[in-house]
Amino acid sequence: MKRVHFLTISIFLSHGVFLLQANAQDLKRGEKLFEACASCHSLSKEDQNTVGPSLFGLFGRKAGALEDYRYSPALKRSGITWNQQSLNTFLVDPQKSIPANRMPFDGIPNAKDRNDLIAFLKEKYK
Amino acid sequence: MVTKLKEVDILIVGLGWTGGILAKELGETGLKVLALERGDLRTTASDFSLPNIRDELRYVHRQEMMQDAAKDTITARNTQSQEALPIRRLGSFLPGEGVGGSGMHWSGGTWRWTDMDFKIRSNYEDRYGKNFIPADMTIQDWGITYAELEPYYDKFERVAAVSGKAGNIQGKKQAGGNPFEAPRSAEYPLPPLKNILSSKMFGEASQKMGYNPFPRPSANASQAYTNPDGSKFGACQYCGYCQRFGCEANAKGSPHMTVIPIAMKKPNFELRTHAWVTKILKDSSGKKVTGVLYTNLTTGEEFEQPAALVLMCAYAFNNVHLMLLSGIGEPYDPISGKGIIGKNYAYDTGVGGNLFFEGKNFNPFISAGGTNTVFDDFHGNWEFDRSKPNFVGGYIVSAGHNTALPIGYRPVPSGTPSWGKEWKAATAKYYQQAMSITTRSGVLPNRYNFLDLDTTYKNGFGQPLMRLTFDFKDNEHKMGQHGADIINQMIAAMNPQKSSKASGAKRNWAFTPYQSTHNTGGTIMGTSPANSAVNKYQQSWDCSNLFLIGANVFVHNSAYQPTGLVGAMAYWTADVIKNKYLKNPGIMS
Repeated sequence: MKRVHFLTISIFLSHGVFLLQANAQDLKRGEKLFEACASCHSLSKEDQNTVGPSLFGLFGRKAGALEDYRYSPALKRSGITWNQQSLNTFLVDPQKSIPANRMPFDGIPNAKDRNDLIAFLKEKYK
Repeated sequence: MVTKLKEVDILIVGLGWTGGILAKELGETGLKVLALERGDLRTTASDFSLPNIRDELRYVHRQEMMQDAAKDTITARNTQSQEALPIRRLGSFLPGEGVGGSGMHWSGGTWRWTDMDFKIRSNYEDRYGKNFIPADMTIQDWGITYAELEPYYDKFERVAAVSGKAGNIQGKKQAGGNPFEAPRSAEYPLPPLKNILSSKMFGEASQKMGYNPFPRPSANASQAYTNPDGSKFGACQYCGYCQRFGCEANAKGSPHMTVIPIAMKKPNFELRTHAWVTKILKDSSGKKVTGVLYTNLTTGEEFEQPAALVLMCAYAFNNVHLMLLSGIGEPYDPISGKGIIGKNYAYDTGVGGNLFFEGKNFNPFISAGGTNTVFDDFHGNWEFDRSKPNFVGGYIVSAGHNTALPIGYRPVPSGTPSWGKEWKAATAKYYQQAMSITTRSGVLPNRYNFLDLDTTYKNGFGQPLMRLTFDFKDNEHKMGQHGADIINQMIAAMNPQKSSKASGAKRNWAFTPYQSTHNTGGTIMGTSPANSAVNKYQQSWDCSNLFLIGANVFVHNSAYQPTGLVGAMAYWTADVIKNKYLKNPGIMS
């Protein structure tokens, strides 16, 4: 019984179904996990785009929409709107999700990590 | 017409690793700091982003980040009896140009040189007797100690995001690290990079043979990292475009994304790019410098920039060249052995063998600057008895892949035709199956290896080019022979289907192909003005308000790559300028 329960959760997590509400601890984890992104993405309105586009106001934005950032054609064509689910899919393996995008990042395989990171982004900077 | 500008407190010539470190540290004093850089300003966002940076033609074959040999180069020859000719296309070494300097396109290898190096003459004389060091090997103790530098090594490793495994923390040996390293105060800031297949196979084989392999310490961030200054690093993506390229992921410790942007935020710091310094100016006493002459490369205008303190932070060659052009210090004469400036030029050397394993997939396109395993049993290991092979120094042995590029990386077994159908078939077959084992030894200085001004050729400003007279000597050949034997024993033990053995045959230095950008010496460090150009703070003995910072102060070269020491000494000098020199200018003791 216990085993089945564990498997069920694993399947849910690996498919990106967000069962857990992010608590303060998760947000803190998410903030720490953002270190992997921070070298290229700013979160403040002032700093705007650096190596990558600013993630300020990301949620609900269309992929490739900032006018003053030079996106890859792949990202612009993707038709994605950034929300919890699309970010989750993208971050598993960015090159697989949007081939030929030019973000040099190999992704976040762990579902809980993605969950907390996205929760942090959403909570603080939507 | 020379326009004289307003004096600044501190003038930095060349804004790479050393200039960046000094600019950041001294910018904190509030004094007016000006940096003159002859190249461009590059950023990760505008210059290293994908897909443009992964361009082998542009960055390797067209050498876009390197010094422009059409404007200024050096002339080279093996011996004084030859006529030196200008290197019109860089080959053997590739000094960088632009903000960030060679720190943009390096692999990241970061080592700590120890008292084995800093007390080289005493050590060898004590252990092997006074006659062991050849008469024409001009080595001497440096006058600096590992203990003095340790905090600064640590600082540089933290700033540059060095990944590695300590072998000795505060005297306690650590499994998996270099057992021969000097005690470090703490572990590396980041764990080692991933162990790729070739490195793993080499590590296992060397362990079986009784050596002590460990991951090469390198400024390639193995995971996301924020350094003590707040500079943010991404994780290395093993993209395979490391050496000779800027890092697309901000994962390679480079001055343009660490110290330089911090300096640039200070209102008292100014950077002028495309500013080519042609001369360091002295006052009438000759004991002080007053500033520099430079040309704005965009307009052709010439300026005199006065400064209270001048820090020469250009590439090692260029620091020496400017000393010779400015007539500061006595140029070295190899016949009489007199003079200092240009003395003790040294370089790197090494030997290598290739191994071909049927059925292996090394995936060499997945690599970083530091994806190597290495052992130090024939260099850092002072117990290794040099009396029988009869050489001073030593070598490290390493394997792994680093920047195995799609055009240039074509390993084929010896005997393969060098062109045509068979060559093509062989390159396709062996791309995945080849790995190599190499040694790296530092060249030890020799009386007849030196730098001076060329008597024939001039640069774009009408100034004499610097002339390099250099060849490998007996000591290098002996290290090469010993290293080749060790590599060949390892090849036999690893038992590949095919191999190209390492050769220790005597050879002359040639300025192609690429060998190493680790050029050292020319304004060496020492204990008195009689034996050196600078004191242990990299301060000129001739002019107390002039510092010559970089590998040009190295007394000799080493099996270890130089940047760890260059970075540590830059921090050490910054500290002493801040806390001692500025309070009481003059020669520091």
